[in-house]
This record gives sequence, structure tokens and C-alpha cells, in this order.
Amino acid sequence: MILEFLINAIGLGALYALLTIGVALLFGVLGLMNFAYGELILAGAFAMYLFRDQPWPFALLMAIVFAVVVALVSERLAFHPLRNADPVTLMIASFAVSLALQSLARMTVLPRTRGVPPERFLSHRVSILGADVSVLDLVTLVLCGVMLLVVAWLMGRTSLGIQLRAAAEDFRMAASLGVKANLVIPAAFVIVGVLSAIGGAVLVARQGSIGADMGLQPMLIGVVGAVLGGMSSLKGAALGGFLLGAATALLESLLPTDLIAFRDAFLFSALIAVLVVRPQGLLSGAKVRVS
Amino acid sequence: MKNRNRLLDAVQTPAILIGLVLLAAVVGATGDVTTARVATLALVSVVFVTGLSVFSGNSGVMSFGHVMFMAAGAYTTAYLTIPVPLKKTLFSSLPGWLSWLADVHSSFPVALVLGGLVAAVVGVVTAPVVARLSGLQSGIATLAMLLITYNILNSWTEVTRGSSSMIGIPRGTTTWWAFGIAALAVLVAWGYRCSRSGLQLRASREDFWAAQASGIAVGRHRATAWVLSAFLCGLSGALYAGFLTSFNVNGFFLTATFSFVVMIVLGGYLSLSGAVVGALAVSALQEVLRRFQDGQFTGGNELPAGVADLIVAAVLLVVLVKAPYGLMGVRELRLPRRRARLAARAGADARAEEPVGVS
Repeated sequence: MILEFLINAIGLGALYALLTIGVALLFGVLGLMNFAYGELILAGAFAMYLFRDQPWPFALLMAIVFAVVVALVSERLAFHPLRNADPVTLMIASFAVSLALQSLARMTVLPRTRGVPPERFLSHRVSILGADVSVLDLVTLVLCGVMLLVVAWLMGRTSLGIQLRAAAEDFRMAASLGVKANLVIPAAFVIVGVLSAIGGAVLVARQGSIGADMGLQPMLIGVVGAVLGGMSSLKGAALGGFLLGAATALLESLLPTDLIAFRDAFLFSALIAVLVVRPQGLLSGAKVRVS
Repeated sequence: MKNRNRLLDAVQTPAILIGLVLLAAVVGATGDVTTARVATLALVSVVFVTGLSVFSGNSGVMSFGHVMFMAAGAYTTAYLTIPVPLKKTLFSSLPGWLSWLADVHSSFPVALVLGGLVAAVVGVVTAPVVARLSGLQSGIATLAMLLITYNILNSWTEVTRGSSSMIGIPRGTTTWWAFGIAALAVLVAWGYRCSRSGLQLRASREDFWAAQASGIAVGRHRATAWVLSAFLCGLSGALYAGFLTSFNVNGFFLTATFSFVVMIVLGGYLSLSGAVVGALAVSALQEVLRRFQDGQFTGGNELPAGVADLIVAAVLLVVLVKAPYGLMGVRELRLPRRRARLAARAGADARAEEPVGVS
């Protein structure tokens, strides 16, 4: 029982950490609070729907391709011309991109919600150490965990990762030391595209349906997690997302049934409290000027 | 002469803006049913965006949460004006401590004012957060407030009817009511802008730290503007409910927020004229796009739903790239003739002074 709960909570935590990193990475590099993130997830999820009859790994690959293409196109068309704009302008622009992508989806392929038949192998249940665990939870855990490790390796051990981190720290300084904006920014969008595709694939498997507005919830999760963890560092953001996922799993099993509907209200109140009391994030040691 | 000029300076912008609003009202009052509907909703938007501009325009901090004040005004109007017998069936399972909601009743004007006041109370409760945060953090916090409001309205089914529509509100808003409130909103917004508090807040918008160093309590003025703008947005919510006679909680969520953000950004969020012009222009644009989407310009070929939204989003992006401060920037609408005459006179003065300077 406890093991089931743990696997569920850790799986959800890993998924949320994945979503959070996608938001935090772009915020760090560009100062962009990306509300169009949900639509990248939608692009990945749509590929899962389109290739639902193909083998699952192939669909996953196509999801990554779709999400990366959408991410790069949105960067090129909308965020590239706004590279020097202030964060609030960028946030409004990402609102616009989000709405544009959503209406595009609604116009062309997703006028209404569509069901995605569950993959046969994901609905199996296996028993581990006496606990009855669904393969879906395990796949969530493994896939998101592996992705987190890959991101950690990429950011920590590769030249691109170091450039990205330098750009997130101080973009102008990094640029004058030879970090190319036209390399790191698209690279950041590609990474975000991959992350959101994985997130989208996992979400489709969990929900069993896709709709034009399915990106809203995961996008909000990413934003909340990133704020909780402190938006300046990826590690903090990942930890914030993880804790948010674990807390959500905990809230869902602990809250009285008539209060579960208000879960979001609790979460967002906590978010506001964190913003007011510790604007640098719960887990970040750095001082941030309140301005 | 100088005093008269100063008076003219003080009243010309609100006078021009009220004139614009009056124009919209006259178009609505003389046109057919559809025109009247579009014009009235445009006036309701003017009230809302003017209210939003009281906060955002003066403080320079963008808010994504003001729709919650609109919701507060609309729900208050619904509780107060739906006839009592209907209300008893709509809200059959009110919790005990709220059972008085089923019995209260008032006329539309009273509900309008109370709607504004309830929104102002919500504003007072949330003001401390806004007073403390700036920039992106404020944007996220206000958005979180909207999400909390939406979650509560959507989930507290016994009291708010949840996701079912609120129905049976008597039609109280006429085009002229909407015009009156819009004119009032413009006057209040202009009055605040010119007031001591408004001036100090605008100083903090230009340079936060310099304002603070000069002893301006930025947080307090932000809170004042926030509550005032909450009141105006509450009024717009009451007008909205009294005009449509039924509404749904989804009307007070991201779509509405986005459409108001488009209005204020397109017009220019630092200027009151920008807010009014943006609200009217985007309302007109949305109506044109709606007709376009329904196929009225393309010979009856209906375009897929979403075309209008896509075009609005594209317009917003172009505006953000090409003119981040909107059509108006920081300028206000003024009488052009006077400025030209002044410039001519200044030129004449300069010429007259030239010989003096040389000798």
C-alpha cells in the first residue's frame, strides 16, 4: 500500500519536475514565462493520437518531432523579434502564441476532444515486492526519471549545457564571452520541445484523451513548480516541481472528498504566499530583489 | 486666459474620451438589435478596461487577474436581481449560513453599486499581495488569483451553480446605462490619474527606486489604485450580467482575460486614452472577425471556429513587436487644433525673441 503510494507519488513528482524544467529553462535563458508551453505538450499529445496505431516508441518519437518543430517555429515567428523585450511583454506574447496555436488546433484537427485508446501494455499491472503497480505508473517513473537524468547530464557535462547555464545566469555577459544567442536560444527551445513531448505522451496515456485545451493544466503545473523552486536555477525548479507532484499526490489522498475539488485553490494560494514571503523561491538560497 | 487654458488642459482628454464613448452609444441606440448588442458589450468592455487601466496604466504593472472582479460584480448582480421564487429553485441546497442569499432582492441600480463594492472588497483582500510585488511576479500572482477564483466559482456548486449557467437575471442594462457607467469610469480614472496618489504612482512607474527614495509609499498607492480599479471592474461585471441575463463561469476565465489584455495592449496600457480606444477598436474588430468567421464576407462559406481568435492573436503579436506600448504609447488624446496653434505661437515668439538674443 505504502509502496504503491510511493511509486505513484514519485512518478507524479518526476512528471511534474519534467514539466517544471521546461518552464524554468526558457525563463532562465530568455526571461520568458512561456504560456505556450501547454500547446507544445498538445503538439506532442496530438502526435500520440495521430500515430496511435503505430508502435508506442515510434509514436513517442513522432511526438518529439512534432513538439520540437512547433517550439522552433514559435521561437522563430514570435519570440525571436521580441528578444530584447521585458518579461511582461514576453509573457503577453506567449499568451498570444498559446491562443494562436490552440485556435489552429481547434480549426484543423481538434474541434472537439478525442479519445486515445490506451496502449495494451500500459494497462497491465505487475506486482513488485508484493505491491500491485500499474505499468503506466512504472513507465511514467522510468521515462521521466531518465529524462531528468539526461537533462542533468546535458546541463552539467556538455559544452551546450554550460553555455545554457551561463546564458541563464547573465545573458549579456555570456554573449560577450562568445556564447551565441542564435545557438543557445533555439537549443533551449529544442530541449523544451523534447521535454514537453515526453510530458505530453505520459499525459495522454494517463488521461486517455486529447483536446485543444489540454495544455492548460500541465502548463500551470510547470509555472507553479518553477515559482516554488525559484526560477533562477534549474535544480531548484526540478525539485520544486517534484515536491509539487508529491504534494499533489498527498493532497489527493489526504484531503476530505468534498475539498478535493478545491485542490487548485489551495495550490495557487500557496503559490501566492511563496511569491509574497520568499520571491526567490522556497528552495533557492539566492537573494532576489523584489521588483 | 492662462486659467482657462489650464482648465481646458484638464478636461479635454476626458471630454474627448466621453465623446468617443457617446459615439459608440449613439451607434448602438440607433442601430438594429445586433448593433445595439455589440455597442453595449463594447461599452461594458470600456468600463472594464478603464478600470484595469487605473491600476496597470498608472503603476505600469500588468494584471492578469482583473476578470475576478468582473466575476464578483456579475455574481453579486445575479444574487440580488434574480426573482426570489426562481432563486429558490436555482439554489435549492444553499448551506445554512448563506441561506439569506435566497431571500435578498434589490433593484438593478442597487445591485450595480453593490456589485462594484463587493469587487472592491475582494480588491481590499488581495491588495497586500499586489502592493508587494512587481513585474513578472505580480503577473503570476494576479493570474494565480484568477485561477483561485475560477476554481472556487467552478467547484462550489451549491452556492455558485458551478459550471451550469446562471440564468434568469432581469435585463437591467440598457445602452444608455452602459454609456453612463462608461463615462463615469472615464471620469473616475482621469480624476485618479491627476490626483496626488495617481501622480506619485506614475512616478513610481517611471522609476521605482527613485520614487521610493523620494519618500513615495509605492505599495500604498498601488493598493489604492488596485481597489479603485476593482470597483470599476465590478461595475462592468454587474453591467455584463444585467445585459446578457445569463452567464457562465467560463466567461470569467482566460479567454475573457486574454481579450481584455488585447484591448489594453493594443490601445497602449500606459495611457487612459489607449484603454478606451483599444476597448472600442478591439470590440469592433472582434465583431468584424465574428462575421468573417460566420461567412458574411465570403459569400456564406463558414470558416472553421477559431479563425477569429487566430487573427486576434496574430494582431496582438504584431502590435507587441512593432509598437510595444500600443497605438497611444504614453500620449493622451488632445485637441489637435490647440497644439498646432500653440506651436505656431511658440514659433512666432521664438522669431520675435531672436533679435533680442543676438543683440
